[in-house]
Amino acid sequence: MSQYALIGVYLIIALIFGVAPPLLAWFLSPKKPNPYKGEVYESGIKTFGPTWIRFKPQYYLFALAFLVFDVEAALLLPWAVAYLWLPLYAVIEAVIFILILVFGLVYVWRRGWLTWM
Amino acid sequence: MEQEIFQLSYLQAIVPELLLLVVGLLLLGVDLVLPEARKRELSVWAAAGFAIVALASPLAYLGEPQFVFGGMIGSEPLNAIFAFIFAMAAFLVALLSRDDERLEPSGVYYALIAFAVIGMDLMVAATDFIMLYLALELTGLSLYLLSAYDRRSRFSVEAGMKYFFYGSVASAVMLYGITFIAGLTGQTLYLGVRYLFASAVMPAWFGMGVLVLILAGVGFKVAMVPLHTWAPDVYEGAPTPVTAFLSVTSKAAGVMALMRLLVWIWGSLPSHAEMTSLIAALAIVTITLGNLFALRQKSFKRLLAYSSITQAGYVLVGVTALSPMGLTAVGFYLAIYAVTNIAAFTVLVLVSNRSGSDWLRDFVGLQQRSPALALALLVALLSLGGVPPFAGFVGKILLFAAALKSGFVWLVGAALANVLISLYYYLNAVRMAYTRAEEPVEPLSIPVASRWVLVIATAGIILGTILAYPLYHLLERAAMVWF
Repeated sequence: MSQYALIGVYLIIALIFGVAPPLLAWFLSPKKPNPYKGEVYESGIKTFGPTWIRFKPQYYLFALAFLVFDVEAALLLPWAVAYLWLPLYAVIEAVIFILILVFGLVYVWRRGWLTWM
Repeated sequence: MEQEIFQLSYLQAIVPELLLLVVGLLLLGVDLVLPEARKRELSVWAAAGFAIVALASPLAYLGEPQFVFGGMIGSEPLNAIFAFIFAMAAFLVALLSRDDERLEPSGVYYALIAFAVIGMDLMVAATDFIMLYLALELTGLSLYLLSAYDRRSRFSVEAGMKYFFYGSVASAVMLYGITFIAGLTGQTLYLGVRYLFASAVMPAWFGMGVLVLILAGVGFKVAMVPLHTWAPDVYEGAPTPVTAFLSVTSKAAGVMALMRLLVWIWGSLPSHAEMTSLIAALAIVTITLGNLFALRQKSFKRLLAYSSITQAGYVLVGVTALSPMGLTAVGFYLAIYAVTNIAAFTVLVLVSNRSGSDWLRDFVGLQQRSPALALALLVALLSLGGVPPFAGFVGKILLFAAALKSGFVWLVGAALANVLISLYYYLNAVRMAYTRAEEPVEPLSIPVASRWVLVIATAGIILGTILAYPLYHLLERAAMVWF
């Protein structure tokens, strides 16, 4: 049970560590607000137009399409490293995996999502 | 437990999931080449695909219960039965989606249904915490997108967002619980964890704490109080066929995953009385809360949303029993509930196609407009309310009997009182449908696809009573595997 008490102590210390710095900063810091500090860029550069603009959702589509290649690379690298020791089914599995990813790419392409609008 | 990661024969255990993957990808592919005018045909393709999956689902059982893929999932009769139930639900919903005039289903829509079903099959079959989590996420992600499918409707997008945020937090909490198990036992396989729990290496309070964390993820899927708050808004905002789908299937998958966790792992704790009391308490609160809110609803869709919270509560009463009888009753009720709820939602889709809204008052004069539709609504709601001779009655009897046999007299008493309360709002909707409208009404014709959905679902509700014995027997033999 004493081991669990140790965990409890650890939790409390962790909590203090997490909460203390922002609290301290809040108490100790001098507060002299002025309108320039409230601006978007503290460097003083003015923003162009309104700051609450919407991002094009197409960025997300590109990120998703990129994921096709990203996942492919991440999963195929260990497969390629261990290639010499792998049985036949691992090769077939990898081929199916690549085919599914290729399908994803073809899908995105045919939908016309690869051209920037 | 040493087990091989891969054998060619293991692939047979995931035949339904493999077929669903093929169906989903095919639908995406067909969607690319099909001209816009013929997009409606996709529902028939999808329905045919899901029907094939349903027919192939018995293959998932390899002849004797065993673990496959290194113990990640089991091959059991119960998994095959639920693969069948989910594929059938997807089949009915695919047909229903065709007739919802406010929905324009594309290949993506049906593919997402297929992927959600893969997730739910695996949720039921998972015998490993990592697998359970992945299956839960696959189901969740597909369903978030489906809820937000109608992009022109603010409510649909809102439903998707709410579902997504709630769901991510719930599954994160569950994942946190799993890290405790993995960290302290070094195991993620159910049986390995069970062994460590049963041999009292882990203190009981640790087991309970982890259970509460894991309940967050699974209870979210079941819409169990206090994790039910997302349900009414999501059910109301999502396109109606999607609501029909997620209110029956993801709930069933969540209940089965919960039941397996409780029976396999937590039921083996030396003292699990607190745990069953916890589930019993949650069950009764879920039932009562769902009922009280359903009483006041003016929208039929929202009424069905609260009613489905209540229905999940009834199923939890059976889960509390933690016995073969309880598991059998839970399986039986979930199957019956699936067809019943889909029937009720089909009527709603057809009525709101004309009225453009989901209000209960739109149902006035339904009997004059379409006697068949009013009859289908009557059968579905009476079955949900647990009125004999419909299958909902048999299902409730089985659930309550199982709980009684495990000694939960107060729970069954409270649940029975709630059944009476629920009759009020079910019968109120029926009364609306059978009230004569004051102004003249135009007849309402039932499109072909929906007609099939209604025929199959209503047949299921009635056959559930007639064939109760063989069905119960089948499920009972499947349930024995767990104990």
